[in-house]
Amino acid sequence: MTTQHAASTSASTPPSDPHDNIVQAVDVCKSFGDKRILSDVNLTVARGEVVVMVGPSGAGKTTMLRTINRLESIDSGEIRVNGELIGQRVNKHGKVVERSARDLARQRADIGFVFQHFNLFPHMSVLENISLAAVEVRHQPKSKVNEYARELLARVGLSDKADARTRSLSGGQQQRVAIARALAMRPALMLFDEPTSALDPEMVGEVLTVMKDLAEAGMTMIVVSHEMGFTREVADRVVVMDAGTIIESGAPDQVFSNPRHDRTRQFLSKVL
Amino acid sequence: MKFDWPYFWESLLSPSPQFLNGLALTVIISVVAMALALLLGLVIALMGRSRFLPFQLFASLYIWVIRGTPLLVQLVIIYTGFAAANIFRFEDTDVLGSLIKGAVQAAIIGLMLNESAYISEIVRSGLESVDRGQNEAALSLGMTPMHSMRKIIVPQAIRIMVPPLGNSFNGLMKSTSILSIIGVSEMFQVGSTMSAATFKVFEIYIVVALYYLLLTTVWTFIQTAIENTLNVRAGLPRAEPVFKRLFGIRSRKQATPAPALALQPADAA
Ligand SMILES: Nc1ncnc2c1ncn2[C@@H]1O[C@H](COP(=O)(O)OP(=O)(O)O)[C@@H](O)[C@H]1O
Ligand SMILES: [Mg+2]
Repeated sequence: MTTQHAASTSASTPPSDPHDNIVQAVDVCKSFGDKRILSDVNLTVARGEVVVMVGPSGAGKTTMLRTINRLESIDSGEIRVNGELIGQRVNKHGKVVERSARDLARQRADIGFVFQHFNLFPHMSVLENISLAAVEVRHQPKSKVNEYARELLARVGLSDKADARTRSLSGGQQQRVAIARALAMRPALMLFDEPTSALDPEMVGEVLTVMKDLAEAGMTMIVVSHEMGFTREVADRVVVMDAGTIIESGAPDQVFSNPRHDRTRQFLSKVL
Repeated sequence: MKFDWPYFWESLLSPSPQFLNGLALTVIISVVAMALALLLGLVIALMGRSRFLPFQLFASLYIWVIRGTPLLVQLVIIYTGFAAANIFRFEDTDVLGSLIKGAVQAAIIGLMLNESAYISEIVRSGLESVDRGQNEAALSLGMTPMHSMRKIIVPQAIRIMVPPLGNSFNGLMKSTSILSIIGVSEMFQVGSTMSAATFKVFEIYIVVALYYLLLTTVWTFIQTAIENTLNVRAGLPRAEPVFKRLFGIRSRKQATPAPALALQPADAA
């Protein structure tokens, strides 16, 4: 059906959005109870761009990232992915309403998400983890999916682990499987929420290498990370969040060496 | 006291056809009631988790009432009370060529209702024991919530639900003995009739007790096999051996193997 075509051709077809922006968040607000988490966040990400989000703990980075694939709803503003409102639609009376679960699932299928704690499925083998959604959601033939899954495993350097149980893997290996699992859906956009912060230091590098390769291959990525070396090397743009707003945005060199905002300076002095 | 050994051995080793019928009825009622209770329990659990408030309220009310009143009273209300008040009368009906007594139908319905309230709680806590990140990962891959429930949540929750569900079934088989109060000729009822006719009260009830023990022991073997199969499939250590659980020697370490799944990220460290 249409989703299958969208998946296989999304990299080559011109998007409906004239500015080629894959993500367009406008005035996004979000509260948990009476606590304001996001206030008027505006974020635009172009196709092929790698954006790294930094900022102190509690700034709202995770929440913002989760609104982009609607794991988190928003109170006001709008978020478009591939030109479509995510999780919402405009009905015939011009009112913004929730999309159906099925429709939202279709949208999410094109957005990869990599979690801080991997969230691999422990009741399945590594290969099953990677193949599951392509078979179940995209209804692609199992043999073809498995072939692609093995290809992805090779890409993340885990060819020998196809039949392993996820719990037998190290943290770094689990996170690489999680990346392969997201890639198996051939997403147009990948979101990473602190993908290396739950790892032992010696495993951080192997995950960052995989992400670097992915960025070089042209994947659009939004990455929440405090790995400054990675950011300098890979990011097209750094976005600094503080207290629920984006306080600064620019090329890594500019933001790191010449921050405009005091809060940015304070934050950078801690992580650099 | 005189214990009639020959009578005891005969009753135990070559029980009368009535007694075997009672035994069969006990097993059939237990299995059917449990199967129906599993379905109803799942429905009640899903209602309790629903975002639709009336469903939630109904589930809470149901669980509160059923768990807060004795099974015996529930059975008598369903069978005798409803009939007396002309609300509903369980009539003998023909199902697949065999006559099912009204009392047996009432027994199955009563046990199902009673058991479902407990099962819904087991199901609910089983579903809740699966880490929230599992569902989020499934959703992020484009699965619908229902799809995620079937492929990701339930398969993991089942492993956690089987031990308490099995214990629940064990209890259910034993509580069929109170069905004699509404005149179901299950094993206990047959035993009572025999003891009234022969005055071998002690011998007969010992035999009855041994048959209940046989049923629950056989079930413990089956339950252990199910748990082992699920554990092996999940790549986890086997459940504790049958003799340990029969004689109640539970080691602390093995008593709680289930949450290991939910703690997956911690394994990485
Ligand atoms: N589900 C939730 N309910 C209530 N508060 C939450 C929830 N999720 C996050 N928060 C709060 O929102 C704030 C921002 O969280 P988060 O987006 O995780 O920040 P960051 O990722 O930048 O550390 C924190 O103060 C956190 O406590
Ligand atoms: Mg965070």
